[in-house]
Amino acid sequence: MVNPLDFTGKQILITGAAIGIGKETAVLLDKLGAKVILIDKNENGLKEITSCLESNGHHWFRHDLSDVDGILPKIKEIISICGALDGFVHCVGIRCRRPLSMITPVVLNEVISLNFGSFVELIRCITKKDHFNKGLSIVGISSVSSQIGSAGVTAYAASKAAMDGAVRCMAKELAPKSIRLNTVAPGQINTPAYADLLKINEGTEDATLSRQYLGLGEPIDVASVIAFLLSDSSRFITGSSIPVDGGFLSS
Amino acid sequence: MTNEEKIRLIEDAFELKENSLNQETPLDDIPGYGSMAKLTLIVLCDDEFGKKLTGEQIKAFKTIKDVIDFMG
Repeated sequence: MVNPLDFTGKQILITGAAIGIGKETAVLLDKLGAKVILIDKNENGLKEITSCLESNGHHWFRHDLSDVDGILPKIKEIISICGALDGFVHCVGIRCRRPLSMITPVVLNEVISLNFGSFVELIRCITKKDHFNKGLSIVGISSVSSQIGSAGVTAYAASKAAMDGAVRCMAKELAPKSIRLNTVAPGQINTPAYADLLKINEGTEDATLSRQYLGLGEPIDVASVIAFLLSDSSRFITGSSIPVDGGFLSS
Repeated sequence: MTNEEKIRLIEDAFELKENSLNQETPLDDIPGYGSMAKLTLIVLCDDEFGKKLTGEQIKAFKTIKDVIDFMG
């Protein structure tokens, strides 16, 4: 029987891998046969997640991706140790909630740089010759915030919309190299970041969930779509943002 | 930072006229005191005082004095 999500022999790089959707994606891809390379600034989290994986041969690298200038040397180091990549999943990001009056240039740069700048720089470095295998698939974690306005998330929403816009352009530019790029746009997902949000602003998130009529999503719901987009089953999908939102955008 | 300075910070964050608030002002009497104003308080406490304010703590605040006491 053919398994369309068989990742045996595939090597996938995941950023923001110590927690939430990144962690769930690592666990799922390991079960599907992939070798995962995990990046996060949280070394203890990386050790913990690696110890939970079923198979051997995975790698982890501690790196703070807000250091965008340090990405090229880090990718070169990773490729020299692990070899060329078959997939890349960008899960790192900060969920900034601030009124417009408190989004200073420093805050805005911090959010855009980590959520969007590191995404583009990682793709620039990964798509250099000898850094990837034919059929490379790239998936970024966007958000429904990139398409629906909400008060207090200007910087975050803009960073996610920037990812979506860049993916449409890079998909065209990189298609001749047989590279595909997409984003997934989760709604509210039951992650530690969501738990933090509930602590801060009780009530508001319930209002969001009333539009998300399939209820609160789980990290595996997003990880499953990421796995599909990494696989050859999605070989005719590129330059897209796929909602994983329990119906939020249709409501 | 004195209590008066903290009150000026809150007035500025809420875009209110100077001296429009005092320690006894009930938060519910502040024009437009809603979810965005509460988010403003959360960010203000974090940025200026390094203190994390939760939704439950905000719910318990009754007056400006409660806020400035939290600021420390």
